[in-house]
Amino acid sequence: MAGSALRRLMAEYKQLTLNPPEGIIAGPINEENFFEWEALITGPEGTCFEGGIFPAKLLFPPDYPLSPPKMQFICEMFHPNIYSDGRVCISILHAPGDDPMGYESSAERWSPVQSVEKILLSVVSMLAEPNDESGANVDAAKMWREDREQFNKIAEKLVRKTLGLPSP
Amino acid sequence: MPVTLVDRLPLPNLKVYTAGSVLLLSVAVYYAISVTNDPNWRTNTTLQRQEAAVVGSDVESVISPPTVLAPVYAANDTRNLTEQVVEVMTFMMQEPLCMWSVINMAYCSLGVAGLAVQRLVFGTLRVSEAQRVKDKFWNYVFYKFIFVFGVVNVQYMDEVLLWCSWFTLLGCLHLLAQLCKDRFEYLSSSPQTARWAHARLVMLLVGILCAAAALMVAAVRWGLPAGRDTFAFMAAECALVCVPTLHVVARSVLRARDADAAGPAAYYTHLVFDSVALVTELAHVAHMVVHSNALVSMASLVLLMQLRHLLHALLARLRRHRLYTALADHMSRNYPMASKEEVEKNEDNCAICWEPMKEARKLPCAHLFHNSCLCRWVQQDASCPTCRRALSAAAPPAATLPPLPQLPPLAPLPPLPPLPADPADPAHPAPQPNHFFHFDGSRYVSWLPSFSVEVTRVRAPTAPPDASQLDAMARQVQQVFPQFTLNALASDLAQTLSPDLTVDNILAGRLLPRQHLEEPTSSVNTSVIPETATNGTSDTTTPTTTTNNSSTSSDSLDAGSSTPELASQHDEQMGESGAVQFCSSAAEREAALLRRKRHLLAAARARYLQQHQQRRQQYQQQQQFPQQQPRS
Ligand SMILES: [Zn+2]
Ligand SMILES: [Zn+2]
Repeated sequence: MAGSALRRLMAEYKQLTLNPPEGIIAGPINEENFFEWEALITGPEGTCFEGGIFPAKLLFPPDYPLSPPKMQFICEMFHPNIYSDGRVCISILHAPGDDPMGYESSAERWSPVQSVEKILLSVVSMLAEPNDESGANVDAAKMWREDREQFNKIAEKLVRKTLGLPSP
Repeated sequence: MPVTLVDRLPLPNLKVYTAGSVLLLSVAVYYAISVTNDPNWRTNTTLQRQEAAVVGSDVESVISPPTVLAPVYAANDTRNLTEQVVEVMTFMMQEPLCMWSVINMAYCSLGVAGLAVQRLVFGTLRVSEAQRVKDKFWNYVFYKFIFVFGVVNVQYMDEVLLWCSWFTLLGCLHLLAQLCKDRFEYLSSSPQTARWAHARLVMLLVGILCAAAALMVAAVRWGLPAGRDTFAFMAAECALVCVPTLHVVARSVLRARDADAAGPAAYYTHLVFDSVALVTELAHVAHMVVHSNALVSMASLVLLMQLRHLLHALLARLRRHRLYTALADHMSRNYPMASKEEVEKNEDNCAICWEPMKEARKLPCAHLFHNSCLCRWVQQDASCPTCRRALSAAAPPAATLPPLPQLPPLAPLPPLPPLPADPADPAHPAPQPNHFFHFDGSRYVSWLPSFSVEVTRVRAPTAPPDASQLDAMARQVQQVFPQFTLNALASDLAQTLSPDLTVDNILAGRLLPRQHLEEPTSSVNTSVIPETATNGTSDTTTPTTTTNNSSTSSDSLDAGSSTPELASQHDEQMGESGAVQFCSSAAEREAALLRRKRHLLAAARARYLQQHQQRRQQYQQQQQFPQQQPRS
């Protein structure tokens, strides 16, 4: 069980290391526990998250890739699709059966052909284009719809925080 | 719980204990030597004993009449060393205090030996391993206590001592076997191929097996003469050590041969060992229940509870096996194996495990997967992993499908086997969910304590008899399809009335898994800020001191990245060395990952500052006067 998960995670780690997507780094911090990874995601250009380096934690189940990992940002985030505790709510991370939002087609959901790379790329595009139907963070969703300027300001502050720069 | 109680006790560590034991033993030996130096010690001690008024018949027989004293005296003068040693030993065996110190020393050396084995084979124990061993230890002590005083019903001190030493040795083997199992699971789930660690583990396992065999010989030698029951108990105990140990050995052999973890070979190995272990234990406990004729004692109640638990476990295992075969049958009937040419033509790896395929199962949509990978996926979702086409659509419609299992229709599951009517068991009337036992130790041996044990049963509230049956069925189906809620399964079972038909429904995609709501993980701090952020925010910056700001904040992380130019140098270095290679050792990989992360962050910060410098300068020009307070 866990053996095949490990082999697959190792293969993904290797691929992500040798051939990383632009601005994305991911891997297990401590290989004693290969089921917990940390990822750094660069905020997509041309969006309010531009330039930020957002750290996140990926927790893989023992039966990965049959079940999806869980992803949680470990920096402060303010985004319609990210819960206030950092958990990410996107369809690719949902197991085939569950459908908390009730609108996803099963084609978007988790399947073993997905991978860490695809998850992280989806998260990047989620940062660029929030899906304001999913109410992981209702305040953020509301602000995104109604007061984009304020939203951008908050995002800017978060970006500076992730870079270790003081708020202006 | 006793465990927490013991944790709180100020137990000395092994060093102190060993030192104490050695000291105690040497005092005892010294005492024995000084007593036996007097050639007349036998008479003296026996006389003392006589004076102490413990006038047992055997004591009297030892006393030699005074007339015989003279020759003994003469002989003792010319004792050689061996004789003296023998005499010291005899004396120590006779003197209770000395004997206890010897027993204490034996336990102490056992502890030291255990520690040595642990150091040699396992190194430091992981927290979960230590916890498991501790739990197992107390569980073991509890059940063996019940066995010694409840089942065998020993009366004499020496019998107690014999059983204690037997169970001590056996317990050591049990604990070591448990440790081996945990460590094996850990090793096989860690990415590095630690061959040496595996080899040590296997050596220890073989050692355990040898020791168990030796104990078995001891059982034949001393247990058999004591009666068939005693022998059966001892043999069963040995077998209970051997079976899990052999299981771990078999698993490591499977692993060494790189066998498919979900393949039939692994599955049937597990099945055989699981069922042999369960059947052995079941027979052992049943034998104990029969043997302890006092049916209304706490011991028999505990045993009956255990018996029931084991019976459940065994039945559940067998049902799971039935479902597994049904699933395998369904797969092989509906999705044929791909032909050789198809597998060869298909150059991709299996999309589930990313490993090459030698043989594959073909779905109706022409996608190929390993048989075992597909099997595990279908248990979760009945669709093609690659194209997401539902498998049920491709399979013949359910109506024409012959009823899935060719097994005899599963008889309505027997309701949970009721405990034999037991007058002392008040739990059967529904309202009281807990068993409460009072153990009056003095009933057995005068120096035993009395205590009470409360056994809590965790059971879903199931009022109607029908519902409990459904619940049991739902539970078995859930073991194979863990992603379904009990409620969902039960409601389907209410219609199908057969687990097999429900499995059929699941496989056909007619039943959807549970709404999987991610529970909030409380362990993670909600606002963990990268540590550099706190460094950066600590210096109050004004918009006027842009350059100063950029250098102070980046000092905290990486001095080299303070200017954009240097950071871009880093980028180049990374391009040359760090990013392209995937190191072979874990430590190197970890270090490389950390390096790459630092560089990404440094580069991003530099880029950010560069881009915003101009904006800041413009801002600075607008603000003709210097601002003292930081803008919020
Ligand atoms: Zn595969
Ligand atoms: Zn397909």
